Amino acid sequence: MTESIKTDTAAGVSRRSLLKGGAAAVGLAAGSGAITGFPTIWAQNIKDVTLRQMGTGVSNINAIAEKCKEDLGFTLQMTALDSDAVTQRAVTQPDSYDIADIEYWICKKVFPAGVMQPLDVSKMKYFDKLVPLFVTGKLTPESAIAQGTAPHTVGFVTGQDSVEFAKEPTNWLTMIPTIYNADTLGIRPDLVGRPITKWADILDPAFKGKTSILNIPSIGIMDAAMICESAGIAKYADKGNMTKEEIDTTINFLIETKKAGQFRAFWKSFDESVNLMASGEVIIQSMWSPAVAAVRSKGIPCVYQPLEEGYRSWGGGLGIAKGLSGLELDAAYEYINWYMSGWVGAYLNRQGYYSACLDTAKAFMEPYEWAFWMEGKPAEKDILSPEGKVMEKAGSVRDGGSFYERMGKVACWNSVMDEDRYMVRKWNEFIAA
Amino acid sequence: MTFAHRVAPYLQALPLTLILGVFLVVPIAVIVMVSFWDYDSIRIYPDFVTFNYEETLFSFVTWKTYLNTLKFTFIVWAITLFVGFWVAYFLAFHVRTATMQTVLFLVCTVPFLTSNIIRMISWIPFLGRNGLLNTALVDAGIVPAPLEFLLFSEFAVVLAMVHLYTLFMVTPIFNTLMRIDRALIEAARDAGASGFQILTNVILPLAKPGIAIGSIFVVTLVMGDFITVRFMSGGQSASVGLMMANQISLLQYPAAAANAVVLLVVVLMIVAAIVRVVDIRKEL
Amino acid sequence: MPSETRGFGFYVLAAFFVLFVLFLYGPLSTILILSFQGPDGGLTFPMNGVSTRWFANLFETQAVGDFGGSFTRSFLLGLMVMATTVVVSLLGGLAFRRRFVGSTVLFYVTIASLVVPSILVSLGIGLLFQVTGFRPAWYSSGFGAHLTWTLPFGLLIMFAVFNRFSPAYEEAARDLGATPWQTFAHVVLPMITPPLVGVGLFGFTLSYDEFARTLMTSGSFNTLPLEIYGMTTNVTTPVLYALGTVTTAFSFAIILTALIAITIINRRRLTASGA
Repeated sequence: MTESIKTDTAAGVSRRSLLKGGAAAVGLAAGSGAITGFPTIWAQNIKDVTLRQMGTGVSNINAIAEKCKEDLGFTLQMTALDSDAVTQRAVTQPDSYDIADIEYWICKKVFPAGVMQPLDVSKMKYFDKLVPLFVTGKLTPESAIAQGTAPHTVGFVTGQDSVEFAKEPTNWLTMIPTIYNADTLGIRPDLVGRPITKWADILDPAFKGKTSILNIPSIGIMDAAMICESAGIAKYADKGNMTKEEIDTTINFLIETKKAGQFRAFWKSFDESVNLMASGEVIIQSMWSPAVAAVRSKGIPCVYQPLEEGYRSWGGGLGIAKGLSGLELDAAYEYINWYMSGWVGAYLNRQGYYSACLDTAKAFMEPYEWAFWMEGKPAEKDILSPEGKVMEKAGSVRDGGSFYERMGKVACWNSVMDEDRYMVRKWNEFIAA
Repeated sequence: MTFAHRVAPYLQALPLTLILGVFLVVPIAVIVMVSFWDYDSIRIYPDFVTFNYEETLFSFVTWKTYLNTLKFTFIVWAITLFVGFWVAYFLAFHVRTATMQTVLFLVCTVPFLTSNIIRMISWIPFLGRNGLLNTALVDAGIVPAPLEFLLFSEFAVVLAMVHLYTLFMVTPIFNTLMRIDRALIEAARDAGASGFQILTNVILPLAKPGIAIGSIFVVTLVMGDFITVRFMSGGQSASVGLMMANQISLLQYPAAAANAVVLLVVVLMIVAAIVRVVDIRKEL
Repeated sequence: MPSETRGFGFYVLAAFFVLFVLFLYGPLSTILILSFQGPDGGLTFPMNGVSTRWFANLFETQAVGDFGGSFTRSFLLGLMVMATTVVVSLLGGLAFRRRFVGSTVLFYVTIASLVVPSILVSLGIGLLFQVTGFRPAWYSSGFGAHLTWTLPFGLLIMFAVFNRFSPAYEEAARDLGATPWQTFAHVVLPMITPPLVGVGLFGFTLSYDEFARTLMTSGSFNTLPLEIYGMTTNVTTPVLYALGTVTTAFSFAIILTALIAITIINRRRLTASGA
């Protein structure tokens, strides 16, 4: 386990420098190892608490549970599931988890089911450090809000017992945002053999039988919409909330493309996208940044290609089950505050995702790491994954550039459409075609 | 018939009835109920509406998908029946000791102890463009370029299903073949019947119940499958199960429930037809 | 036909059987080869060096998921399901040898158990537990869900076993004054032991590999297939293949051990009866 020692020291160094710098608020939460736990009344029996967290493997990582035990003293049981199962379980079995790690677009359906309790903003230590994307929807005060189910639109409810989403920020969060990213096309530069600049380039006849998009209906159709718009086939008022006509156009386009044999396969899990690309079955497909990194770490060239039309983005967060109360609930809040305090954020950033509280995460990353992942600068040294593997050689630059360049070019968010009933029917028609 | 004699079958059937009663009949009742509920893009509403059925039954997509699923069912059934029968025949009539039969059965079971998800992933490096099979074929000069149809195609779906389900055909056929009185076969041979005549006039008729049971297994498995279809066709082929999975993934339970009820009715009709042709409870 | 000399038919069928076994092991060959991937290799070809790294990794903490815990749960659940399936299917099979009121309904309910989409059975059982206030867990709701899957197979295989099962033996035993229990234990049971072993094997394998029915019924903890599927939502490594290789090797070791044990017992019995 040399890997975890390495990361620990890295964090330890920054922790010390942080305390020296006098950032007491951050240090208090983060430096529990140095300051012997949290000075709260229930600190005695907190060790008996066990919280059950459920979510996809994207962020339900064992290292987080281990670090949580170390810093906070209580046990976090992580259960990783696929995204569909997370949704089903969240809605139908609120007793089987304490903390649910889910995506914002599906939160639009999960939260109204009344299975989760809103989070009290006044108990959130780092609420004001959140990236404004999750509060106002704007990355910077000047930026426009992207299409689709932007996280802030389902980020707040109107009251403590409400399941109604609030239009403006309130004191009640549906979930605390944790992770997000911008997706685009991944390519095999060695096999594509031409510059790729637009989503529509996936339609190049040269790539016949060597392309792929996502096989989750509500997200796949948005990939398709990005392609349609780029190819000039359609123009959408809101790709994340299409009209029936727009759905028809998009699906008809997909059917034609499928019949022409353009697609090799559609992928659903992270791992499938990696295998399709690494095996050479597919040379251009919609992809996630860490999946590209995973292909690259096997010595196979792969580029996360920024495109003219921008990215399709997604975000996820942590919600608390309705039934949680007492000491467990206190522990859950403590856990969430710890989650936002930087160590986890740094961990997620190092995988190529983005954390929701950037300032706190920065304190847990080496300056060269921060420069590479967040500022889009060439790597001063080899960039290591949280497990200690070399992800990028010194001198390389992150595809798509800095955080602001990437998240500033989000064209739409993963979403649930008003017409999703019709959309699924049409999607099934596409699969059957 | 004594009292104990008459009560015995009820007692014997009790555990089965109880288990299925709690864990199956209740869920089915819930499914039937939910199939009449209403839903929109956000929530599900208890109600009594029939349009979930209307949408399912009056859409050509449903019919097309059923047709496609039935096509898979028929092809897979025919292949597994052929392969399964001869494998069972070999095990029952050519393998001499019960120990050896058990060992060979075990050898056939071992691949299934590796999780299906891992096996599914391993089809890509086996059948894929740069996979083991294509590399071997190209190196041997049998084909000039890798065969694309081996993976992410209907061929691949059928292949994987045959791989998964043949053993379900072998087991019941083997068990009925083991019940055939060997004296009967000797008698037929003494009477001058040829090997082929023994097969068609003695063995096949007596193996019918096993064939019927195996067919029930394969038909129900293929009709309800969605994981194999999705994986092996690369998400490009439709099946009834997949249609439902897409609805469930967006929490459209009423639509999926209606679909499930329709599927249940269709498959039970197929099974009833099989049971009508072959009485699998004959002389039980 | 069981004759002393192996005929032409035997060799044709033996070849057919070998081909069938090779076909079954086809995908396993890639699992075997790729489980020796180099430390930087992936789940597909090309090989990126050769190593035993992934076998060692099998016993280390993974980035996501936990092999040890989920394997233990799956293995125990498999054994529970196996035992229950054998007993309940045997009883069910015996019941169906006579006509009883409701037998047709029970038969079709059993068939329905195979047909109803697994994910909905799973959701239904999960909801049932949620509504009645029991916490779903792999050993309660998950156990029940698995039985809805294994029992139809068990019962129908018993149908094939009892098919044309001659009542003459039982009548003879009864005529000799045996009680029904003695008849069952000393006459029927020995005759159906091999197929019962088969039913148990089926039950274990089906449960051990069950996925969709477990999804909503395993409670807060995953069985092995769920855990593996959960792992595929992040970076996966050839450790999955190493698991496959170890499973296969382990199964073969068990078969071989059993085979040797049987041979030794048989030989002892032979010498004992010879002396």
